[in-house]
This record gives sequence, structure tokens and C-alpha cells, in this order.
Amino acid sequence: MFRSAVPRAAPRSLLRPVGGAQSTFRASNIYYQDRLRRFYASESEEKDLVIIGGGVAGYVAAIKAGQSGLKVACIEKRGSLGGTCLNVGCIPSKSLLNNSHLYHQILHDTKHRGITVGEVKIDIAQMMKAKESSVTGLTKGIEFLFKKNNVEYIKGTGAFQDEHTVAVNLIDGGETTVRGKNIFISTGSEATPFPGLTIDEKKVITSTGAIALQEIPKKMVVIGGGIIGLEMGSVWSRLGSEVTVVEFLGQIGGPGMDAEISKQIQKMLTKQGMKFKLNTKVTQGDDSGESVKVNVEAAKGGKEEVLDADVVLVAIGRRPYTAGLGLENIGLETDEKGRIVIDQEYRTKIPHIRAIGDVTFGPMLAHKAEEEGVAAVEYLTKGYGHVNYGAIPSVMYTHPEVAWVGQNEQELKAANVKYRVGTFPFSANSRAKTNLDTEGLVKFISDAETDRILGIHIIGPNAGEMIAEGTLALEYGASSEGKPTNNYKLSTLLIITLDVARTSHAHPTLSEAFKEAAMATYDKAIHY
Amino acid sequence: MNASKQLLSQQRQPLIRFLGKRTIPSKIDHTPQAHPAAPTHQLPESFAAYRQKAQQHGPLNQQHHFSSGGIGGQSGASLGPVEAGKGNYFDRSELPKRFQRLAWTQAEIEAVESGGASLFA
Repeated sequence: MFRSAVPRAAPRSLLRPVGGAQSTFRASNIYYQDRLRRFYASESEEKDLVIIGGGVAGYVAAIKAGQSGLKVACIEKRGSLGGTCLNVGCIPSKSLLNNSHLYHQILHDTKHRGITVGEVKIDIAQMMKAKESSVTGLTKGIEFLFKKNNVEYIKGTGAFQDEHTVAVNLIDGGETTVRGKNIFISTGSEATPFPGLTIDEKKVITSTGAIALQEIPKKMVVIGGGIIGLEMGSVWSRLGSEVTVVEFLGQIGGPGMDAEISKQIQKMLTKQGMKFKLNTKVTQGDDSGESVKVNVEAAKGGKEEVLDADVVLVAIGRRPYTAGLGLENIGLETDEKGRIVIDQEYRTKIPHIRAIGDVTFGPMLAHKAEEEGVAAVEYLTKGYGHVNYGAIPSVMYTHPEVAWVGQNEQELKAANVKYRVGTFPFSANSRAKTNLDTEGLVKFISDAETDRILGIHIIGPNAGEMIAEGTLALEYGASSEGKPTNNYKLSTLLIITLDVARTSHAHPTLSEAFKEAAMATYDKAIHY
Repeated sequence: MNASKQLLSQQRQPLIRFLGKRTIPSKIDHTPQAHPAAPTHQLPESFAAYRQKAQQHGPLNQQHHFSSGGIGGQSGASLGPVEAGKGNYFDRSELPKRFQRLAWTQAEIEAVESGGASLFA
């Protein structure tokens, strides 16, 4: 009827605006015509997967999806891929940690090694440049990987329009929409601000500002003695700042760190010049003057003290970042900490929308996000993915480094698990001795009955690399026929300290300390 | 030969056992459960509520079909009939957009009224 009235020359797309109001009656044959309109539509085709956020979780998922043959688009608003980790987190901070350590070592640790150095000066601008070139090299690398794996990279801010459509406000101006059969939310996290202090990233800074200071502050106060606070505090302390760390809890390193390890690393960092105020809360901050004043008092109440600093680093944690994402448009709610609630397959209550990385549950770590990116795509393509949350390592890149995986003594005591501890100090390790870098130890915690490894904690110059062996050991111990489980009693697979202790480790290496600590757990170490 | 057997048996066998090639378990329970890292270890009500609501438009709760994960893993026909159950009915406005009625555009109305002439005007 209507069809004959409209000549073929007039495409229907001229007649009907895309996405117009759809409520009045129309004949059924036109319904099919309308479906054919998909071919003429100007908006891009529907993707198998749209990922909002090109951080570690998002970009890894995008590449994995591309490799699996899905049509995938990744939306990122920063203008460069890699998220917090690559742009303002792990990577730039490691550049500064490495170079500041070199500087510190040349300054204080050369004479007794038989090296005489002349005047040593710091060129902060060049140090920042070195950091930036590492960052750009890596972020550009991901862009290349996107091209290689057919991932469409959309530079802009994505917001949900409906359950399948994401509106993108493009960085270069203009808007577009992208439709996805599946959508991943991987928008990451941001630094939690401290109430009463306005973050300007110059005087009051977060980790983002701490990697971009243009001059070395004389005095720095770090609020929060977690990993970020201690790493950034270390950088500026090595470069000459007087750093005071204020921590509410009774130990540094965050709640995951073993208490014994925490005490030891605190001693080492104190020896390096950092000051600590534990069990102390910050009551108030004033950034109106030239310097910043921070009022602190004992956590349980006590005498107030005012700390004066050129720069205050707020490192009290991070919170999920979902602002402007339009979650309200699709009725997705977050929990009391702002995390998107997901089920065991990363699905939100809307099953085709999944959330991975910092924006949802679990530790805010890049390697955890990476694992989730792969697993979430596998759930799409294979219906099955796997992340073992019981074997995710944590590393603090101070000097010496601190690394751990599995459970710590406090946790095991609280769970009433009988355990045995074996330790081995680096002062008895030949390689550490030759390196004249003997601070630290390896600590094994194993089940008293089965000898199964429950946790490994290392302080040492190479702890971050060495923990990989521990994680592998724990991974084999914690998984039962591929099913993730944290219940060690259910496990049928065991790797025990004996396995590590009987494995040959090259001599002389720091990893020998790892073997000897395993030995010490069930028997005695040879060299100690 | 017996000697070497004996020697072998004396040698310590590492207790680690490898899983071999990872395979996808034949039976996977896709019903939503709490995420292993979730602090509360339970899902909020909204998960079940959404599925209950989504059910009337499609077989979302039919585990063996829709939630198997693989894209295009099942044919549309195998998902079963989409008709409303006995005694139920679908309101057209509640259906996904593609099933809803389209509004007439002004150009269409004019095209009909003018017998198509407006297209050439």
C-alpha cells in the first residue's frame, strides 16, 4: 500500500529520522522495511563488544576480544591508552623510583664499593622527561596493538544512552554513538580526596601530582602510609625532601602486609630518612597560606600537633570512577563504596553489561585488572573464564622492595589455621652479600599439617621479581581442577614447601634465599 | 632393569601435580552468584528483580540457552517461542524498541496525503 506510493528513488532513510519517536501504528510490511534500514543507517554498525575505558582492564579485554575475532570498540577519554597505570601510576612512578634510587645510591653508596664520584647533581626536568618518554613509548605501543588486533579506538567520553548504546563525546569535537551487543565498564578509579584539603596537584597533590612535581619540596607530608604513599614518599625523600608519613592504622603498607614485614620495612625506611607517625589521624588541613598546615593527633585522641609542609601528598586510597558514565540511564547502582556490583562472571544485573578492573570488587591492581580483562572476554567467547583471587601478588617498589602473595600471619590467626613459618635473611645469601645489599628476608607460611604454602612475604632488593615463583607455587596449590577456590582444605592439588625447597635454584642468586626459606619451614635452612 | 626401577622409586616424587591442558568444564552454572571478591558474599536483590522483569521479553532465565555465553552459540529458534505464556500478554510499548510502532513523520503523512507528489515537490 504505502510501499507503492513511494518511488524506489526515494530512500526510506530520507523519510524517517533515525531513532525517531516510535509509537503510532504502521502496517506490518513496513516493519520489515524498517529493519532493512540498518543498511542505510549512518551510525556505525553494532559491535560485539564495546569497552568504556582504555585502562589496563579495558585495553587488555579489547586486544583479547580482537584476537578472538569479535568486533570491538574501546572508548577512552584521556587521549592515550593504558589508564592510570601507564599514564599516572605504576609506570611513571617506577621510572622515578628507579632513577631516584640510582641518584641516592651514587650519592651515599659508592665510596665503600671503591667508586669515587665527583659532584652529583639532580636535573629534575630531565628526570621527568625520561619518565615521560617511557610512558609515551608504552601507550603508543598499545595503540599499535589495537590496530594489529582490529580494535576500533574511539577517543572520547562515553556515557550510557540505553542498555545497548553508548554516546561518545569526542575529544576532537562532535558526538557519536556506538552500539554493542555486550558492553564492558572499565572506567577505573581515582584518588580519594581528603576532606578539607583542595587538591591542586601543586601544593596538595595526589599520586598524579607526586610524579610531576617541578621542584623538590623541602618538607613533604604524606597522608596515608599505604603502598602509594610509601613509594612516592621514597622518591622525594631520596631526592632530598624531609618526608613525614601520617598513618591512621598501627602499621604501614596497608592491611594486606604481614605485620612482621611491615615493622621491618618501617625500620629500613626510617633509616633512609623517612619519618613515621602511626596511629595518628589528620584532623584538619589548611592550604590557604604559602605552605600547607596539617593538624594531626593520636588516633585514639590526644595532643594535637601541627605539621608544616611545602607539599602534602594525599594517599588515603582510591575510589571507583563512574562519574558521567550515565549509570542512572540504565538503572545500574553501585555499592556503598561506589563499586559496580557484579556476579561471578563479571555481569552486572544487566547480563550483557560487565564490569572489570578497579571500578568493581577486589584489589585495585593493574595485574588483577588484566586477568579480569582476559577472563571477562573468555566468558563471552567460551562461556568460561578464570581468575584466582587467592593468588594475586602485591609489590611495593621501595628499596628494598616488599612483595607478598597469599595470606599473612594476622589473617591465619584470625581464621584459626595452624601454620608454620620459615624465614631466611638476605644477610646470609651470597648474592646479596656480593651486592652489598643485604637488607630483608624471605618468609614462608605453610600449613602445619600438610606443609602446603599459604603465604609468602619478601623484603629484598629483588622481591617484586622473586614473588613470581611464590605466586606460581600458590596458584598450583590453590586451584582444584581449574575451579577457583580459596578454601585450602578443598584442594586436591598441593604444592608444598618441600617442592620449592627441593628445586635447584642457581647460585649465586637472590632466589636461593627463597629456596632456603622454604627449607626452614619444615626443617632447617643450610646457610643460616 | 629392576635396579633402575628401584632407584627410580627411591627418588623423591615432587608432590606438585600439573593440571595438563586447561579445558572448559562440561557443566558450568551460569546463574548469577556473588563475585568471589565481593565483600558481602551475596548479590543484591536487583539482580533477580531484573531477570524476572527481563524474563517476559525473552528466555533470560533459561540457563541452558541464553546464558551459555558464546555469541551466536545457539540458533534463535532453539531459544523457544517468544510468545507470552498462557494468560499473559505483552504490551507493545514494553517490548524492545524494534518491535514498537514507529511514529509517522511529517514527510510521510504528506506523501500519503498527496499521493506521493510531495516527494517531488
